[in-house]
Amino acid sequence: MLETFKHTVDYLSSPTISFSILTVITPILFPPTDWFDKINRKLGFHLLWTKTGLIAAMAAITFFFVVGYMDQNFNVILTKADNFPIVLMVYSIYFFTWVAMHKAYINDERLEKGLKPLEYNDPDDKVLVWPDLVYIEFIALILFTVFLVVWSILVPAPLEEPANPAATPNPSKAPWYFLGLQEMLVYYDPWIAGIVLPIFCVVGLMAIPYMDINKKGDGYYSFKERRVGIFIFMYGWIVLWLFLIVLGTFFRGPNWNFYGPFEYWDTHKVVALNSVNLSEYFWVKLLGKGLPENILLREFLGFLTVGGYLFILPFILAKTILKDMYEAYGPTRFVSLMIFGLVMLSLPLKMYLRWVVNLKYFISIPEYFFNI
Amino acid sequence: MAEEKMTPNAAVGSSAENAYKGPETDRRGFFNWLSLGWLAYIGVTGGFFTMIVRFLFPNVLFEPPQTFKIGFPEDFSKNSVDVKFKKQYNAWIVRDEESIFALSTVCTHLGCTPNWLPVESKFKCPCHGSGFRMTGIHFEGPAPRPLERFKIGLSNDGQILVDKTKSFKWEKGEWENPESYLKV
Amino acid sequence: MAKEKNNKKSILETLGESQVWKSIIRSGVPRTRRQRMHAVLGSVFLHLHPARLPKHAVKLGYTWCMGGLSFFLFVNLTITGILLMFYYRPTVEYAYTDIIDLTEQVPLGIMRELHRWAAHAMVLVVWLHMLRVFMTGSYKPPREFNWGVGVLLMTMTMFLSFTGYLLPWDQLAIWAVTVGSNMARAHPFIGHEGPGASLLAIGDINLVHIGSDVRFALIGGRFVGEATLLRFYVIHCIAVPFIMMIFMAVHFWRIRKDGGISGPL
Repeated sequence: MLETFKHTVDYLSSPTISFSILTVITPILFPPTDWFDKINRKLGFHLLWTKTGLIAAMAAITFFFVVGYMDQNFNVILTKADNFPIVLMVYSIYFFTWVAMHKAYINDERLEKGLKPLEYNDPDDKVLVWPDLVYIEFIALILFTVFLVVWSILVPAPLEEPANPAATPNPSKAPWYFLGLQEMLVYYDPWIAGIVLPIFCVVGLMAIPYMDINKKGDGYYSFKERRVGIFIFMYGWIVLWLFLIVLGTFFRGPNWNFYGPFEYWDTHKVVALNSVNLSEYFWVKLLGKGLPENILLREFLGFLTVGGYLFILPFILAKTILKDMYEAYGPTRFVSLMIFGLVMLSLPLKMYLRWVVNLKYFISIPEYFFNI
Repeated sequence: MAEEKMTPNAAVGSSAENAYKGPETDRRGFFNWLSLGWLAYIGVTGGFFTMIVRFLFPNVLFEPPQTFKIGFPEDFSKNSVDVKFKKQYNAWIVRDEESIFALSTVCTHLGCTPNWLPVESKFKCPCHGSGFRMTGIHFEGPAPRPLERFKIGLSNDGQILVDKTKSFKWEKGEWENPESYLKV
Repeated sequence: MAKEKNNKKSILETLGESQVWKSIIRSGVPRTRRQRMHAVLGSVFLHLHPARLPKHAVKLGYTWCMGGLSFFLFVNLTITGILLMFYYRPTVEYAYTDIIDLTEQVPLGIMRELHRWAAHAMVLVVWLHMLRVFMTGSYKPPREFNWGVGVLLMTMTMFLSFTGYLLPWDQLAIWAVTVGSNMARAHPFIGHEGPGASLLAIGDINLVHIGSDVRFALIGGRFVGEATLLRFYVIHCIAVPFIMMIFMAVHFWRIRKDGGISGPL
């Protein structure tokens, strides 16, 4: 019974499957349109944000970790001191998303009835910072200090062997909060995954207030009024950042191969990682010729794809399905929203292309370190 | 002229003119001096920041020597990878059928040190799973290009001399360069 | 009468009326509404807050206290960090053994744990703070700028944590940092393995090479070594915290200037 559970989890956690499941579930969990909302209601996903849902999901997470703790293979990963924050992360992210969504659902109902949101109080009815706020801060501070001290006593900080530049540990991982980045590096060249995507991530986050022209939902939890925005944020935050961290910590083993959480880390596991460039697909496999000498000719299809995706697609979208949005947002806002959105979307796209057709690079010019 | 009237400075200037009839700089001249002043300011600050950036690059580096002797060609058996210089000099010495060459131990993906797996006859990087053949050519994983080779030659005493200051990249066709391998 | 009143006074009240107390906290013991507001307004630390707040602002369910906790963790990390600096020497020779000594030879051997786990917690708490601000829509006008400052603060938190990761000088540290700093190689034009770097050349001589690119500036050498340890130490202990304090000051100031804590109208 338990073995079947473990095998199922091992099977489901393979990046192709787990990532696909999450990608499909996110729009149902945070429905951006009425259609998704209907599915959400039909499948009962909204129950996840009720109190019963909280208890059930917390129990499920705990069950997973308890089974993991008992399992000799998962235990090794789980009990690494530096991985404890990930356990905390899994719990707290779910808990706080629950808090936000739970309150948002209540507020949505209140707003539909024409009531003010839960957080609303008479503006003249104020409380004093001393003592009301100062005491809360004081208690929070003490509780958190106690938590830190207990954590520090129970879990010694990890210290491995002294640094040895000649022996790379296998696997060698970045600090846990950067494992999402390390995972991106499997799919994109360092200058994209390590420089361009993080910069887009930071600038994109900073640009949110300027791109979101929805005036509603300011200062209280709500979902319905801002569902598209929340969906996009949640997809980027949970699937493209937090899930990749979990993936990198729990499911990546020696040689950066994928291992199910309950699977033994066999160093000699052989996984075929032969990947092919777009130019090779086109010239060698499709036309049956050798690669042309001229770099631009060799990579022209890649340039067309990337250029078309980033610079032509927004215009097509503006003329067709996103016409209304284009008119509401104006050219500058629309274009920046499209660029940030498409760059974000390029990560899952590339992941799928790698998994399905073994695509290595769209454009591959190693002569100038220019690979996309 | 109409433009100048609009600036408050001009107004102040004209009242000062009435009160004080000393040596005069006309307004156009003043603004020329002003832009010159700003240019000088930008130049000096720019120069200063350049020096701050330059400050980050010391003139002398206390790192292990880049040129080293590894012994005689006979010391290396055919079709083998010698890993004993990996720790000290970050190089593998590979001997194939007709030549000896020195491969850099820096993975071209993100600079981890791959491990030589004799059974599978490949270099495998533990960080992101890039794999390289004995020749240094990449064949799996995310590495974008083959490992680099260092300059290799014979010194006067017949020992092999590896010079890490010059490296040869396959993708630029530099492995054809006679300095990148040693015929045996 | 006067005598009787004197007897009833608690120690706190007697203290509160003394010249020393009044010179520090002008309003005496804050008992009345007026005194309490005065206590907040008159204190350089507390006047970060307004004197009065809307009711939802003191509810944990609304704020999760995450912003306050991030600041608390920053202070906590500063204090534990300063204490650790008394024993730690950032050299390849001593770093690792100093870390061992911190647990084994120094009383209260959990100082390093406190620092490390608080750092991990801070990354998490800052993320949750961002989640809260996003979910309540608190980034919307007029708070757009402050959201941007917050995103930069979050980035700096992660960079601080990353630079601190190297200091124990163990296998975990050096390889995490090798992988991380090697991303710097790939900067377009300024990293020696970035796109376009090989175009910046005069004749045969490359201007951007392993000894002159942005990665070199960060780690102070061709590979992670002695100079890297020192540079990361300085970045971790002085440079980033200094910049972060400036940004935090702006962040807090702007909360007040942008109309205080967000809330429904």
